[in-house]
Amino acid sequence: MIVTFRCLRCGYEYQGEYDRNRPVERECPKCGSNSIRPIVPKDKPK
Amino acid sequence: MMDVGRHPKIKLLSYSEIEELSGFAGNFHVRVRKKARYVKEEECTACNECAEVCPVTVPDEYNYGLSTRKAIYIPFPQAVPSAYIINMEDCLGNNPIACGKCLEACDKKCIDYDMKDEIIEFDVGVIIVATGMDVYDPTPLDEFGYTRYENVLTSMEMERLLGPGGPTDGHLIRPSDRKEPKSIGFIQCVGSRSEKLGNPYCSNYCCMNTVKEALLIKEHAPDTEIKVFYMDIRAFGKGFEDLFIRSKEKGVKYIRGIPGEIEEDPRTKSLRLYVEDTTNGGGVKHHDLDMVVLAVGAVPRIDPKLHSLLVLSKTSDGFLLEAHPKLKPVDAPSTGIFFAGCAEYPKDVKDTVTQASAAAARAETILSAGKITIEAITSKVNPDLCKFCGICARVCPYNAITVDPKKKTPAVVIEAMCKGCGTCGAECRFDAIKMQHFTDEQIMAQIEAALEERPMEKIIVFACNWCSFAGGDTCGLSRLQYPTSPLLIRTMCSGRVDEKFVLKAFELGAPIVVVSGCHFVDCHYIDANRWTQKRVERLWDKLEGMGIRPERLQLEWISAAEGTRFAEVMRAIEELRKKVTKEEVEETKRILSEAKKGRR
Repeated sequence: MIVTFRCLRCGYEYQGEYDRNRPVERECPKCGSNSIRPIVPKDKPK
Repeated sequence: MMDVGRHPKIKLLSYSEIEELSGFAGNFHVRVRKKARYVKEEECTACNECAEVCPVTVPDEYNYGLSTRKAIYIPFPQAVPSAYIINMEDCLGNNPIACGKCLEACDKKCIDYDMKDEIIEFDVGVIIVATGMDVYDPTPLDEFGYTRYENVLTSMEMERLLGPGGPTDGHLIRPSDRKEPKSIGFIQCVGSRSEKLGNPYCSNYCCMNTVKEALLIKEHAPDTEIKVFYMDIRAFGKGFEDLFIRSKEKGVKYIRGIPGEIEEDPRTKSLRLYVEDTTNGGGVKHHDLDMVVLAVGAVPRIDPKLHSLLVLSKTSDGFLLEAHPKLKPVDAPSTGIFFAGCAEYPKDVKDTVTQASAAAARAETILSAGKITIEAITSKVNPDLCKFCGICARVCPYNAITVDPKKKTPAVVIEAMCKGCGTCGAECRFDAIKMQHFTDEQIMAQIEAALEERPMEKIIVFACNWCSFAGGDTCGLSRLQYPTSPLLIRTMCSGRVDEKFVLKAFELGAPIVVVSGCHFVDCHYIDANRWTQKRVERLWDKLEGMGIRPERLQLEWISAAEGTRFAEVMRAIEELRKKVTKEEVEETKRILSEAKKGRR
């Protein structure tokens, strides 16, 4: 599923593939933080 | 191989696969399927009379299709046991009425069409994984014309051509006209050292294999013109530079540049390479050659079933992950399992022998000791609190926990298998698991102590023992400056960081909490930090739902060598801390206090 990722350090947002069952290491393209939160729509199954 | 086959204490099971594996170091129980070879290997004398009468001819996989074999064959000349095998997919004689010629030809009556797979079970103390590697298939690299042009071969095919037991008995010929080539080009790094084409890693053996093959060709036919197209020659081992220099002295030409295109003359089947020679003034030049050899790199052998049975983990390049790259380079993360050879990483014969010797010696340390000493940091289940949900068993990277939700038997931790990451303890919703030496009480006490005075000025950092905590050490040893606000609380793995530790820190007034662990490829507990990330993602949602800004919980992966990154991250997080107001912290404390009362 394509979701929006939000960096919780700098606030930068970008889109990418998200699969809860196959976690991958994520890094903010702007500031390099790993605090990348997937914004999964509430009406869609996680 | 012959010595191994004859050794009284070694049981060699060729043509076999592991079906099941249970137990742990010192007590593995293995179930092996020994596939039917339809020839009684103890009685077969390898007289070849069966193969002589076999009417089926198929390409020989061992010689990469450069020769043929029969349906009844010996896989390769030095195979142990030296006994024939029937490939039933090729054989016509499964019904003896249809063929059965080999059956008639075999005087010793070794052939048995009704032979069945055999299941063998045995106990072993340790396991050495030496499953090898595969070689890169250059067919997708259209510019080199492999499989389109007859005279473009891989280095493995060249190896077979030069081998005395190979398809031409060691005579070097080019496939299109079976004449001796007068000029040969080698292209290095095919499938290696390229993010776009093949694999990003160096395959380690290709440079010296090319040097060796070039010298062999010069011995066969000294007048052969040999050109090697390379990025750089990595002749780093003992005696390797001498061999490289000797090849130059014998007339092998080295040209720095990888050809961009190969064209074939349809009439002569000779080849023209276009390449930018970066050592001789640059510019694209062409070279006309009779034959081209692609020095193909290594690729990991994919065997999901074996990896799953042995609980093996892989690095990002697909090769097997060792317990520690420097301190335990031949150990698997699970105790009692060791690596030898290219399953772990591409390596040459010398390194393979060295690693195999090391693996044998490491194995002997367990076998000769008779008992295993394990770390005291293991999980313990309180059966009275266990609700048999099975989450602990699901998250354990080592399969060290058994639980049967259907029969409602409490979880049991096999201490010999437990490595003490603590992920089970963090995931257990019923606090039924106690992580010895890193108990909830011990960690909570550290949080309370850290936030006892001026909590607004503190950042609570949960740091894993192996990477992030060590990264902090590296930062300090390098005299790098970072703010004084971060207070580190060490856990063995970031997987140990329970949700309640984070909430407790916020409840006590921490403006920012950081969960920090190893990068995914470096996780010392196979994949425990994947559960950390999942848990933190859940926590972000939960915090937001409670009215607490998720930005106040940070997640960072920092390796032991990244002292600079540790300092940078701490400086950036200090800036976040400064933006958290006293009112926000007080509101968080109120929210969490009310949530606690609600739970009561």
